Parts: sequence; structure tokens; C-alpha cells
Amino acid sequence: MAQLTSSSIQPARPQQTKPAKRPASWVRIVIYAFLILFVITSVGPLVFTFISSFKTMGDVLAFPPTLIPNPFVWSNYQLIFGNPLFLRWMFNSVVYAGAATLLNMLFSAMAGYALGRMDFPGKNLVFTFTLAVMMIPSAITLIPKFLIVNNFHLANTYWALILPAMAQPFSVFIMVQFMKILPKELEESARIDGATRWRTFYQIILPQVKPALTAVVILTFQGAWNDFQWPLVAMGTQNMYTLPLGLFFFKSTYYTQYNLLLAGSMFNTIPILILFFIFQRYFIEGAVASGVKG
Amino acid sequence: MATQPARPLSTLTDQPGPRLKPAHKAMAKKRSETIAAYLFLAPYLFVLLVFSLFVSIYGIGLSFFRIDMGFTGPTFVGFKNYIQLFSQLANPGLSDFWTSMGNILKFTVFVVIFQTILALVMALLLHSIKRGRGTFRTMFYVPAVTSSVATSLIFLWLYNSEGVINFLLSLVGVHGPDWLNDVFWALPALMLLNVWSTAAMFMIYFLAALQDLPTDVLEAAEVDGAGRFQSFWYITLPLLRPTIFLVVALGTIGAFQMFDQAKFMTNGQPLNSTLTPMLEIYNEAFLNGGFGQAAAMSVILFILIFMVTILQRRFIDTGSRQ
Repeated sequence: MAQLTSSSIQPARPQQTKPAKRPASWVRIVIYAFLILFVITSVGPLVFTFISSFKTMGDVLAFPPTLIPNPFVWSNYQLIFGNPLFLRWMFNSVVYAGAATLLNMLFSAMAGYALGRMDFPGKNLVFTFTLAVMMIPSAITLIPKFLIVNNFHLANTYWALILPAMAQPFSVFIMVQFMKILPKELEESARIDGATRWRTFYQIILPQVKPALTAVVILTFQGAWNDFQWPLVAMGTQNMYTLPLGLFFFKSTYYTQYNLLLAGSMFNTIPILILFFIFQRYFIEGAVASGVKG
Repeated sequence: MATQPARPLSTLTDQPGPRLKPAHKAMAKKRSETIAAYLFLAPYLFVLLVFSLFVSIYGIGLSFFRIDMGFTGPTFVGFKNYIQLFSQLANPGLSDFWTSMGNILKFTVFVVIFQTILALVMALLLHSIKRGRGTFRTMFYVPAVTSSVATSLIFLWLYNSEGVINFLLSLVGVHGPDWLNDVFWALPALMLLNVWSTAAMFMIYFLAALQDLPTDVLEAAEVDGAGRFQSFWYITLPLLRPTIFLVVALGTIGAFQMFDQAKFMTNGQPLNSTLTPMLEIYNEAFLNGGFGQAAAMSVILFILIFMVTILQRRFIDTGSRQ
């Protein structure tokens, strides 16, 4: 598994795209037909939801369903933007995802630097624990995590969301894999120039592992932005809900008003999709790297 | 904050006193490296120790206690939580926990089999084309980045008794059920949603593995006159065994802990037909206040996941490591 990681997020990896033989033309047609079918099933529901979020309530629930919104209305979005709680949920989600991402990037890179490039007693123990805890399912940690947070009176605060997410074992694992393979000369020349260890880390090492940093940033952001279970447990009052949790509450309030619900779901979907289309390479390579996360 | 810890330390060692002997110098250097390393590690170690290690031990410990928040302190009850749960096995249909276990077994078997096959098929299709591979891969991956809450909301609408899915079925003359309110169809509806949203992630693993396959073996098979199907069945598939194990194991671990959709879409209903263990653990702890009992359920679920993963390793993965 570790091999899979180190070989698949190499910075500049030659693409080995040589199919053994060229398929016969009718086989190619069948292959493309299936590919297009899968595109429709993958993207179709989201595209159709996006279109439908401009429909009136009657149109959203019409049977048979209509494709084009007629009349085309902005009112669903206007109503959502007019709801102060909804804006607060978006703000909370930005705080959670933003802080978790920045801190996790910094702290896991620091830990990766120590574990990957320094020599000290206890190093193997820490690394072994890192691998071991990646195997622990959240099933076992959910309740004790809540009790700890609750004991320290952090429940229903941003700290409850950010503290457990600010240095994640699988990010550290990715960083170690990357830092390990950098040449030793990098630090030696920095040392001769009189650079301190922190400057060596910050100015010499970090720029060399940008792909790993990007993968960690994206995976952390995606995880926090989409997280439902932990905010559900850790947050108690409506003004502290994150967007997924707010949507859950929204769903029970506007039970049958699917026009509003669909427009609401777009707020949770579109930001992450924009990031995905810009940084898709890192999303996909990061996913392979986190294969060990479990 | 531990953001600038190493500066004073390393400046010290970089300019050692002139009278230090080499041995002392080496030792001092080693000590300063150790201190610097732990300063770099400090924030991570805090999270690792508190939110991974301590929390796991605490979780197992909790399962031996009775805790009702607020009234009395925790009381040690030994294995009583477990005995209570296992005694419910005499009549599993009446026990929420064992009902949820039965549901999740069905759910996991179906989801893991179908998402693994679908992921492999998508990866093979992508691997066999040159033109547009990147674009198709991107499109396929969209469900995997979308939040589970958003997709739950969307499918809640699509699964409506007069929704899009039943409309499509009516085109081929099938009268679809009221998916999420039907005791028989609610769980299959959640299975389908899960296959849809996770298959693409595992497709990526297969695609990475296919690109790393040794081409010389496949070329040799071609020279020997192996057909497309033969070389897939006898060469590609056995070489993919470690990846298949990875996909099946990760899929199983994820499926066993299914929570978001069950909580968001059906809340375990109708008639507990979509109750999953994670949802039951959540309900027991946060609605009934039975933290100890819920912790015991978590431990049982954890052991089950662990044993299934080991079995899978024996049956899928060993063949490739002779």
C-alpha cells in the first residue's frame, strides 16, 4: 500500500498510456457507448438538480418531470440568501474547513519533516502509531471524542470541530512519504549557508513537496466541508451548525419544498466542485494516496 | 504556538563553543536534533495522543461502565453491557441493535460487490481508450467529491414516489415503488445511492493499478496467441489481486459504518428497515443517554469489521503473495 502511494503521487510521473492493442472499431463504439452512459449517470443527477433549482415548487414536483425551468425563477436563491441562519451556516463551514485545512497542512508538514528527515529516539514508535491509528474506524472514537470535548466545555464551539482535525495521521503519512525521498544535500547546503532548521524547513523543504501539500489541502478541505457526523454530534445550537447540518435542519423545516432544498444543496456542492475542476489531478492522486486511511 | 520552535536551538548547535570535544559536540548535536524534532512534532503528537490513542482506549473502557449523564457518576458494570446485548440475540428481531446488524450485513455485501465490479468495469473501459480518458475520468469522479448530505437531499427528491427515477421506470412500463417509504425497497435504495457515490473513488485505485501493470507479461501473452478475454482473466485479474483486496477491504470498512444517508434520508425508518449500527449507536448515546451501552455496540462493530477484513485478506490477498 505504501508503494502504491509513493509511486502514484510522484510530481512528474510519465504517463504510461499504451493500450496493448487497438480495439476493433465496433468494440470501440460499444466502449464509448458505455462511457457516455456512465457520464450520464454520474453527472446527470447533479446537472438536473442544478437546473431544477431554478424551478417553481410546482415544477420541481411535476409528474412527468420537466427538463427546462418554465418559468425560470431566482426566488429559491433569493429566499435562501434572505435567511440569516443560512449565511451563518456557510460562514461556520468556511471557518471549520478553512482552519482545519490550514492547520493540518502546517502541522502535518512539520510532523512529516521530523519523521521523514530527522533522526531521534522514539521516531519509529511515532510512525508505527501513525500507521496503526489510521486503521481505527470512527465507530469506536465517536462517543469518547464527544465526551472529551464535552468535558473540556468545548462542545458547540469551533474548537470542537477544529482541534481533532488540525493534524491528521493520514496527512502526516503522505508528507513522510514525500519528504523521505528528497536528497539529503538540500539540508546540508542550507546548513552551510547558516540557515536555521525552521528556515530550512520553511524555505527549502516545503517548496519541494508542493504536490503533497496540495493533496493534503484538498483532502482535508473536502473532508471538513462535507463532514456531517461529527458536527451533528459536537454542535448543539442552530447558530453553530455547519452547512451540511444546516441542510439537515432545513430539510425538516421545508419538508415538501424541494425547490428550496435543491437550491440549498447547491451551496454545499458547487464550491467543492469548482475546487475539483481546478485541482482535479490532486483530488484524484490524493484519493489514491489516502487509500490506506481506512 | 509551536510554529517557530527550532530557531534558537539550531542556531546554538550551528555555532558550538570552540572548546567542546568532538564526542561532546556529537552528543550535543544529537540532543538538539531530538529536541527540535519533538518541537516539530508537538502539535501532531497532541492530536495523535488525545484524539486517536486516548480516545480509542477510552472508548473500549467506556463499554464497561454505566453512564447516565448528569444524575450519577459512571459505575463500573464489567461485561454487563455486552451480556445485555448478546442476550438480545435470543430474539434478534425485537432488538434494535441486532436488527441494525442484519441490515448492515445485507447492505455491505450488496454495496461492496456491486461497487467493486462497477469500479473495475469503469477503470477497464477508461484504460482501453486513449482519446478523452482524462475527461471521462473527471466526469466519473464527480459523485465522489459531492457531499453525502447534498447527494442525500438530491436522491430524496429523485426517489420520490412521483420522482424522476419512477418516471424513468414508467418509460419502460415499470410501476416503481415509493422507494424510501417502502419497508422492502428503502434499504436497496440506500445501497444504490452508496454504490453511485463511492464506485468512482475505487475506480481510481483500479486505474492506478492498471497503469502500473507490467506490459511485458501482457505482450508475451499476446505473442502466445491469448485473446482479449483470456489475457484479462488469466493475467490482468490475478495481477490486480492486491488492489481488489484493497478496494474490497476499504469498501467494507466504509459500508459497515454507513451513517449519513441513513440519518439524513430515512432516520432508520420505515420500521427500522434502514437502521444501521452507527445510527443505533448514535441514538443510544445521544437520544437515550446510554453511553456505556453505545460504547459496547461500537466495540462489537469494530471487532466485526476487524475480523471481516482479516478474512478478506486471507481469501483475496494471499494468492498474490506466494
